[in-house]
Amino acid sequence: MATDRALSLSVEDVSVHFGGLYALTNVSFDVAVNEIVGLIGPNGAGKTTAFNVICGFLRPQTGVVRFPVLGRENLRPHQLARAGVARTLQGVGLFDRLSVLENVMAGAQSRSGGGLGVGLFGLPASARGERELRQEAAAMLERVGARQYAGALPGAIPYGIAKKVAVARALMARPALLLLDEPASGLDERELGEFADLISTLGESMSVLLVEHNMDFVMPLVHRVVVLDFGEVIAAGTPHDVSHNETVLAAYLGVGE
Amino acid sequence: MSSLRQRFPSAWRLVATLLLLVLAVALSFVLSPLDDSKLAGGAAISIVILGLSWLIGWSGQVSLGNAGFMAIGAYVTAIWANHHATSPIVWSLVLSTVIGGLSGLVLALPATRLRGPYLAGMTLAFSFAVTPLALNWRGFTGGSGGLFINFLSTPAWFGGLFSGPDALIRANAQWPADVTLVVAAVAFYFMANLFHSRVGRAMRLVRDNEVAAELSGVNLQRARTLAFVISAAYAGLGGSVMTLLSGSVTPQTYGLTLSILLLTLMVLGGIGTLSGAILGGLIYSYSDNLVSLVNKVSGINPTSTLGANLKGIVFGVLLILTMMLAPRGLVGAGAWLRRAARR
Repeated sequence: MATDRALSLSVEDVSVHFGGLYALTNVSFDVAVNEIVGLIGPNGAGKTTAFNVICGFLRPQTGVVRFPVLGRENLRPHQLARAGVARTLQGVGLFDRLSVLENVMAGAQSRSGGGLGVGLFGLPASARGERELRQEAAAMLERVGARQYAGALPGAIPYGIAKKVAVARALMARPALLLLDEPASGLDERELGEFADLISTLGESMSVLLVEHNMDFVMPLVHRVVVLDFGEVIAAGTPHDVSHNETVLAAYLGVGE
Repeated sequence: MSSLRQRFPSAWRLVATLLLLVLAVALSFVLSPLDDSKLAGGAAISIVILGLSWLIGWSGQVSLGNAGFMAIGAYVTAIWANHHATSPIVWSLVLSTVIGGLSGLVLALPATRLRGPYLAGMTLAFSFAVTPLALNWRGFTGGSGGLFINFLSTPAWFGGLFSGPDALIRANAQWPADVTLVVAAVAFYFMANLFHSRVGRAMRLVRDNEVAAELSGVNLQRARTLAFVISAAYAGLGGSVMTLLSGSVTPQTYGLTLSILLLTLMVLGGIGTLSGAILGGLIYSYSDNLVSLVNKVSGINPTSTLGANLKGIVFGVLLILTMMLAPRGLVGAGAWLRRAARR
């Protein structure tokens, strides 16, 4: 697992337990710069818990989450975007009463120049900042192929589009590390293909860590796979190696116990 | 026109505010002194409604305690005016706004950790506490008698605008009304800016989806607290203006009833909008007329128990009807009618 390349994310010996229940036990893995990594495992393996620890929603009892190239560690959720880490949520997690365009603009909320004084007094910087965000958000929607939905409310657009909008919002933070929580869930065949293309392209300019159930989607897409089972890393490596790993097959298929 | 509006939005808002202000002030010269003072009361209340609308409509937090913040602003103005008779009124207004905001900060420390009915309960408790506190802290608040201040003295240049036998009466009635309109215009201008700023968006993010808001870089605790502080500052300013208008402050004015009335007026006008707050203020101005009309039509004896509580009943019925028929208030109903007419 150790690489010589610079790391975007390094999860080191992280353990989380809720009372006596161990959700994660000494979990370690990392994501290199411009690498696409898939975090997989059966239901209840601890994938979402791992994501929540990385995002600072959960504090691990032991271990540390580092963002080496960003020079930060153990960030709180609201610090992520500014530091260069963006995350999409399971489902879509859009803001229901904001237009699609405003949803995307929200991804750049932590950018400088939008403080209380500037807003209250209506200083030119406020209007300029908003105008720039609006243009950038429109361009971002164009990029993910959802430009024509800019004025709609999230409840009125197809699910596949909403997932793209969520990615566009995450990209507004100009992340160095993008965390995708089940990006493929609920998508049809055509949308899956589009999403895989999009993520591949993103991987050229940023690191991507994704949690996913759909193996047909994950395996061709990622450079490396980390497999969790019962809160422990049971395997890590290239998709080819992992898919021939007996421990992994046992965990997924329940054979050879 | 619309591109100018997009290029210079805050300048546009400033021009629009000034136009409305000029119109309102011009109207105050036409209307009777009685109407002037009614409208001024409505303008003062509309500032408070606007602050409440910001809290509820934008940040998604409820408050049943904004009359309490009004009381704080009202007392600060009265106490300050009695100790610094010569200080310009702008200091009373600023001081009341700041202390109103600070008291909002104090309440926000526990309040922003609560949601929904728990938050409502906490602010309700604050509302309950204000009147007894003002009644019993006599050295400071004057107890049940309240405090009195000298009415705003009308400047000579303003008095010179009037002629005729009742010139002095009209000038003295209209000066506080026009001052109130100016204060309301400033308050509305700042809020319009906030609505269109990134801070305003942060509030709506928190309201719609807390987890996604945090991941977008919004510090939840800070955003929620800021919403409370601004809302309380607006209430403090409104209370300050109420004291200046009436020349007095009494504890009974700012009880729970007023908090509920503020909430009702906000819903009637339309939550989260500038025009909704203005409409709410206007309804407040003429609520007594409305109640006496109901009185006349229904033939209820105004001195009976039923008659004495008629205002609460009328507003209660209006609130229920609004929630049923036009949940987005008069503003929302107006927008709906415009769309229907275009079809």
